[in-house]
Amino acid sequence: MTDVIKKFKCFYQDHSAKAKMGATRRFTRSKWGNAICCLFIIAAGLFTMLPLIYAVATSFKPLDEILLFPPKIFFVRRPSLENYAAIPTLLSDQNVTLSRYIFNSVFITFITTLVHIIISAMAAFGLSKSKFKWRNALFMIVQFALLFNAYTLSVPQYIIFSKIGVIDTYWAYILPQLATTLGVFLIKQYIEGYVPDAYIEAATIDGASYFGIFFRIILPLIKPVLLTLLLFSFRDVWAMIPQGTIFSENIKTLPMVMSQIASGGIARSGSAMAVTVIMMIPPVIVYLISQSNVMDSMSSAGIKE
Amino acid sequence: MKKRKLRGIESLKSKYGYMFVSIWVIGFVLFFATPLIQSVIYSLSDVVIGGETSFAGIKHFKMLLTEDPDYTKNLSASLSSILYSLPLILVVSLVLALMLNQEFRGRLFFRAIYFLPVIIATGVVLKYISGYGSTTDKVSESVTDNMFQVTDIMNVLNLPAGIAEYVQTIISNIFSLLWQSGIQIVLFISGLQSIPSSLYEASRVEGASKWEDFWFITFPSLSRVTLLVAIFTMIDQFTSSTSPIIETAYSKMQTGIYDVSSAMLWFYFLIVIAVMGVFLILYNRMLMRRWG
Repeated sequence: MTDVIKKFKCFYQDHSAKAKMGATRRFTRSKWGNAICCLFIIAAGLFTMLPLIYAVATSFKPLDEILLFPPKIFFVRRPSLENYAAIPTLLSDQNVTLSRYIFNSVFITFITTLVHIIISAMAAFGLSKSKFKWRNALFMIVQFALLFNAYTLSVPQYIIFSKIGVIDTYWAYILPQLATTLGVFLIKQYIEGYVPDAYIEAATIDGASYFGIFFRIILPLIKPVLLTLLLFSFRDVWAMIPQGTIFSENIKTLPMVMSQIASGGIARSGSAMAVTVIMMIPPVIVYLISQSNVMDSMSSAGIKE
Repeated sequence: MKKRKLRGIESLKSKYGYMFVSIWVIGFVLFFATPLIQSVIYSLSDVVIGGETSFAGIKHFKMLLTEDPDYTKNLSASLSSILYSLPLILVVSLVLALMLNQEFRGRLFFRAIYFLPVIIATGVVLKYISGYGSTTDKVSESVTDNMFQVTDIMNVLNLPAGIAEYVQTIISNIFSLLWQSGIQIVLFISGLQSIPSSLYEASRVEGASKWEDFWFITFPSLSRVTLLVAIFTMIDQFTSSTSPIIETAYSKMQTGIYDVSSAMLWFYFLIVIAVMGVFLILYNRMLMRRWG
C-alpha cells in the first residue's frame, strides 16, 4: 500500500515539476481536439438514430421501393402516405376501428401509470419516513425483486388472474404493473435524499394529518422523481403486450395490432413501420415534458444503497 | 409525561407507515410474491396440464445440467455476454457523458438523442426496428457490415481467432450497445455535475493538465456512480428478454412445459443473484473504505 502511495507521489511530483518547467504551456484543448470531439458526438449520435431514421423512411416508402433490390435503406425516392392510409383498411376485417385501439392504448396507459405512481409513492413514503418494524426487510425485498424478469412470473400470474376472473378485461393490463418495484425503489431513494424529516415534523406540529402531509407536502416535493417514473412507466405500459390474457379484439391495444400487421409479411411491412412511427410519438412527447427532471432523480438513486 | 407523548407520535407514525405501504404490499404479494413462489414449486415438481402436480425434487435441474445439450451452452452464453457488454457500455457511456457534459451549442439536443432509445425502444417497437419478425434484414448488421468490412480487416491484421471473434461480436452489436447506454449516460452526467468545481480550480492553480484532471479528480469522484452504473447494467443485461436462457425458457413455457422452463429460469436466476451478491458486497466494501 505504501508502495503505491510512494509511486503516486513520485508520479505527481514528476509531473508538477514538468508543469513548472513549461510554465507558458496552456492547458486548454486544441482546436483539433474540439473538432474531433464534435465529430465523435455527431457520428455516434447519427449511429444511434439510424434505426429511427430507417423506421421513418420505410414508413413513407411505397411498396415497390420497399421491395427494391439492393435495398436503399435510408433513401426515399417518392415519399407517399399510402402506408398510413392503408392502416384502416388492414384493420377492416377485425370489426374494430383504429380509433378504438388508440383509445384502449391511451386509456390503459393513463390509468395504469397513474395508479402505479400513486401506489409506489405512498409505499415509498411509508418506507422512508415511518419507522415501523418491517421496513428494512421490505426494502430488501424491493431490491431483490428488481433482479427478476417478468417472464418468470407470467404463467403463475395467468393462473391467479383466471382465479380472480380478470382474464380478458382491462384489469389484466393494469394489475401486473402493480407488482413492479422499480418505482418504489426510485421514489424511496429520492425522498431520503431530498425531503428532510423536519418538514414532516413541522407539518405534524401544525396539525396536518398524514394523508395531508403526503398529498400537500411530499408529492409536490418529489415531483421530479414522479415525472421520471411517469416516463418509465408510460414507456413500459405503452409497449406492453399481455401474454395470453387478452383475447377480445375490442380491448386490444396498439402494440398487439402492430404485431398482427407485422406478421402479414413483406407486403405489410410498410404499414407496420407506419404503426411503429405512430407508436413512437407519445413516449417522445412524455419525454419532452419530463426531460429536465430525469437527470436529478436518476442521480438520487445512488445516494443510499 | 413527555416520553409517553413521544411514544404516541412514534406509534402513530408507524401506524400510518403500515397504512401507506399496505396497498402496495397487497399488490406485490398477490401479483409478484405468490407467482414467484408458485414458479419455485413448478421447478421442483412434475406439472401435467389439467392433471395433478407431484413433487419431483431437483430432477429437472439434474436433467438440465447433465442431459440437455443446449442448456449449459445457453447458460454460458447468457452469463458471458456480460463480459464484453459491461466494460464496453461503461466506457462508451462514460466517454459520451464526458463529452455531453461540456459547454457547447446544442448539447441538450444531443443529450436527448442519446436518451431517445431508452424511451422508444421497448418491446414490440424494439423488436420490429431491430429486424426480428420482419422480412427486411437486420438493419444494424447490414449497415455495420457494409461500413467496416470487419472480416477483411481481421484477415489483414492476422489476429488470433479468439480476439478476432471478440472484436467482431462487439462491432455487430454496436447498435444495441449504444442503444443500451442511454440511462448509463444520464447517470454519469449527473455524477459529473456533482463533482465540486473547486477541485478543478485548485488543480488548475497547481498546473495539472486535463488528462491528470481526469485521472486524479474525475475518475475517483465517479467511483460510486460507476458502480451504480455497473450494477444497473448487469441487472439490465441479465434480465433482458433477449438473453438466450430467458428466450428458450419462454418458448418452452408457451408450449406448456412449465416445470422444466421454471427450473431453467430459476437455476439461471440463482447464479445471477450470486453474481450480484458478490458485486454488492464489493460495493459496500468500497463505501466503507470511503467513509470509514
